[in-house]
Amino acid sequence: MKLQIQVQENIGSKQPGVITVRLAGSLDTATSPELERELSTVLAGPVKGLVFDMAQLKFISSAGLRVISMVRKKLVEKGGMTSVINMQPQIREVFNIIKALPGLDIFKNVEEFDDYITARQRMHQEKG
Amino acid sequence: MKLELYATPGEVMRAVKALQQLGQDNQVPEGPLFGLALALEECASNIVNYALQRDVRRTFFVTLKHSESSIVIELRDNGPEFDPTQAPLNEKEESDDRPPGGWGIKLVRRFTDEIRYTRQGNENVLCLIKRLAA
Repeated sequence: MKLQIQVQENIGSKQPGVITVRLAGSLDTATSPELERELSTVLAGPVKGLVFDMAQLKFISSAGLRVISMVRKKLVEKGGMTSVINMQPQIREVFNIIKALPGLDIFKNVEEFDDYITARQRMHQEKG
Repeated sequence: MKLELYATPGEVMRAVKALQQLGQDNQVPEGPLFGLALALEECASNIVNYALQRDVRRTFFVTLKHSESSIVIELRDNGPEFDPTQAPLNEKEESDDRPPGGWGIKLVRRFTDEIRYTRQGNENVLCLIKRLAA
């Protein structure tokens, strides 16, 4: 199974500077280098957040998880956040087993992600 | 079914695809098949990356056996002696200053019912067993 990667800015999400990465197919030992290359280009730009949309992702292995972990760390260094939405149940189970991605926000869908960001921004405005 | 595979990630996925096809042909439920495919990917990737150092000239073997009661996967390589069943589990969560490790074996343990390792001559022989519901 191949991996299809679609990278779009602000698609779905209302948040500016947020890049949505739609994955379809299989993120495994053979395809993860391709995702890493694609995301290196994305991270070189002014990205504030990454949302991995996994609605069409059928398979993920530790090789794929490592790429996501690496991306999350790089984004943290830039003050950004990484989120995952629309995970299929089996993919979610893999994330749950690993329990090794603290700081990765998991949302049911993009609406839930947007609500979270909006609430967080409101909270920061109220404090400051 | 016995496959001889070169030490490349693409060949790992060829084995995974063969397992998925075997499972579909025998109406193995999607859940167990997904987990077993993942376990095979993890173990075969370790062989490619560590045992055979991604030397594309070297090969390893994967044998797939299906019965009504189980699916058995045997992986056989002639790399340095290594027993993955003795690999320590990294139970603590990853922290930002520690690279991820041990995820593969954690997934293999979760998605298989039994893992057996033996060293036979100069070969590592790893068996992954998944019992199927009666």
